[in-house]
Amino acid sequence: MCRHRSSRLAFALVAAALALGVVWTPAPFAQGKKLKIGVVYDYTGPFAGGGSELHALGAKIMIDYFIKKGGVEGYQIEALYADAQSKPDVAINEAVRMIEQEKVDMLLGFYSSAECVPAAARIEQLKKFMWITTCISSAVLENRNLKYVFRTQPSGRQFGLMSADFVAKNAKAKLGKDAKDLRVAIIHEDGAYGVDVSKGNEEGAKKAGFSIVLKEGYAATAPDLASLVTKLKRGRPDVVFHTGYNPDITLFLRQAREQGLRFSALIGHGAGYGVYDKLKESLGKDVNWFFNVDPISIWLTNEKALKKELPPMIKLIGDEYEKARPGTQVKSAHVGMSASNTYVFMTEVLPRAIKKHGGIDAEALRKAALEVDLPEGGTMLGFGVKFLGEGSPMAGQNDRAFPVIVQYVDDKPYIVWPASLQQREPVLPLPGTSPYAAQ
Amino acid sequence: MAIVDIFLLEALLNGVLLGGVLALLSLGLNLIFGVIDVVWICYAELIMLGMYGMYFLYTVYHAPIVAAAAVCIVAVAVLGVLLHVLVIAPLLGAAPINQLLATGGVLFFLQSAATVLFGIEFKNLGLRLPVLKVAGMFVSYSRLLAFAAALIGMVLVYLFLTRTYTGTAIRAIAQDRQIMPLMGVDSRRIYLITSALGGGLAGLAACLLVLQYDVHPFVGLSFGPITFLICVLGSLGNFVGGFVAAFVFAEIIALGGLYLDLEWGYVFAFAFFIVMMFVRPEGLMARRS
Repeated sequence: MCRHRSSRLAFALVAAALALGVVWTPAPFAQGKKLKIGVVYDYTGPFAGGGSELHALGAKIMIDYFIKKGGVEGYQIEALYADAQSKPDVAINEAVRMIEQEKVDMLLGFYSSAECVPAAARIEQLKKFMWITTCISSAVLENRNLKYVFRTQPSGRQFGLMSADFVAKNAKAKLGKDAKDLRVAIIHEDGAYGVDVSKGNEEGAKKAGFSIVLKEGYAATAPDLASLVTKLKRGRPDVVFHTGYNPDITLFLRQAREQGLRFSALIGHGAGYGVYDKLKESLGKDVNWFFNVDPISIWLTNEKALKKELPPMIKLIGDEYEKARPGTQVKSAHVGMSASNTYVFMTEVLPRAIKKHGGIDAEALRKAALEVDLPEGGTMLGFGVKFLGEGSPMAGQNDRAFPVIVQYVDDKPYIVWPASLQQREPVLPLPGTSPYAAQ
Repeated sequence: MAIVDIFLLEALLNGVLLGGVLALLSLGLNLIFGVIDVVWICYAELIMLGMYGMYFLYTVYHAPIVAAAAVCIVAVAVLGVLLHVLVIAPLLGAAPINQLLATGGVLFFLQSAATVLFGIEFKNLGLRLPVLKVAGMFVSYSRLLAFAAALIGMVLVYLFLTRTYTGTAIRAIAQDRQIMPLMGVDSRRIYLITSALGGGLAGLAACLLVLQYDVHPFVGLSFGPITFLICVLGSLGNFVGGFVAAFVFAEIIALGGLYLDLEWGYVFAFAFFIVMMFVRPEGLMARRS
């Protein structure tokens, strides 16, 4: 308990220091080669509790691991942490400040797509290397032909397409309806992240022939979503596709319950839906049977299908996570995501850039990133890595990334889609014990 | 065939209930401005602290909810007094912009202090109140409570201001800050009572909002701006005007959001506000310019 409190206090102090614009730097290395990484996440503001802080934790665990190891290929690692404060303008300013004043060699992190889209353009302009661990909006990369921006995560569009595909494949067998008779609603926060996932939902729904009864965005900070719930009641969707941060997710679900919204399935897409403990705390048992689309949790991967050095890393990350957040009921996939993506950079990109391309400048890192060729099972997240190069509409995107769909059943997440990774049959429609279950 | 659109009725009802929440928020702020002539920009942050108080008392220390609410209301009232003594009182004679900046500074201070003390995680009471089903419509108990509290709060404040000696003194000070001290009214005492009352109303809002929303250091961002708009729309300092404006605003949001995208509801509400600023710059219920 004491340890829990002190770790929370320590985190809070770091967050407060970051909020005041103070950059924390570990003891400087006096001599030798050094890679300075600017790490940007939201440590304060609404995105912090919505998942960013967990991503920041994952990245920090991995960076600290390599610092303790003495660095990579003769280069010591120094990390400078900055708080984007859940504001795109602050994210850009911090990125620029890191580059121009702190002289970092590269930037890593970025939780919110709303921050990622403008920050990527600015960092590219300054010809610095940007390694995205988190944000998923296609708009970050699509048709921008960025040279120095790379993302191992799947894109938001893939999230949206996967959930629609999952419903299409289960409509007849589980819901007893042909796809054309299935009524779906797509609701999302109206930032770059929600919009991109919703486009994937819509594309997938149209392809499957679903009837879209409502597609609507809302501000994640909206104090009231009652009208949206009323419209959903009017549309009577069988399935609700929802993309949000937090606390908009809990506000929506609370108001949906209070207003008597009923459906057969609810599929969330990452962010707030990926932090099960908070969902459970807010909604209690009501969260049972909900689905979530995200890259796989590293704690749910089939270890036998991974490269042999990865399972011990997963254990190490889990141990560090437990130290930082004792008593966590369900380890959030968020921590594993950023840890895995940081690990890929440290083990695949950085050594290659140093050994083969002569250093750590943006050009060397870019060349190294483009040469990464990991097959499926090559990362802790299960997927492989091969970045799309110049000329591709999604240059910088990992072409081998894919999300999975988990279902929360009695406080445990189970992979239910894709079929090749399925841990249990999906429970569809919502059982009658759920207050949201369609009568 | 239904004679009335049940969903329209539900939206109207939701508008009324949201109006109750917004009216509750605007009550204390209007009182403060009306009497002390200072806008507490950090008003929503006082509510945030009250919400944290409820969280800790009820969830961590397992205090009965009514006792927790009573403690929170008193605690936020004390915070209101402290705010006045430490920040407002030294600036009473300063330019309004200085007062505004000072309370703005308190806003950031409170947000950062809450981050340090409570962390950035969203917290909630884990309470799920029952839902009323009336004629095919669902009514949230927590919103109904907020609505009733706003109504009762407004009546009580009105009675206090019109039926008590202190209330009369408060109104007198609000009408003329310079003359009343010359007539024997202790303006410092009146300001302290008003600050306590304003803080207490923020505490009451906190007790009811925490039943509906998660609390985090930045929860004030969701309510602060809209509360100020409502106070201005209803005529700053006029709490009856604020009450009416809250319902007008909420109905525009609810109905606009029903027939168009949710965001349009807010667009219409803000457009209405801008138009009204041209038509009635003193606010909907202005008694004097």
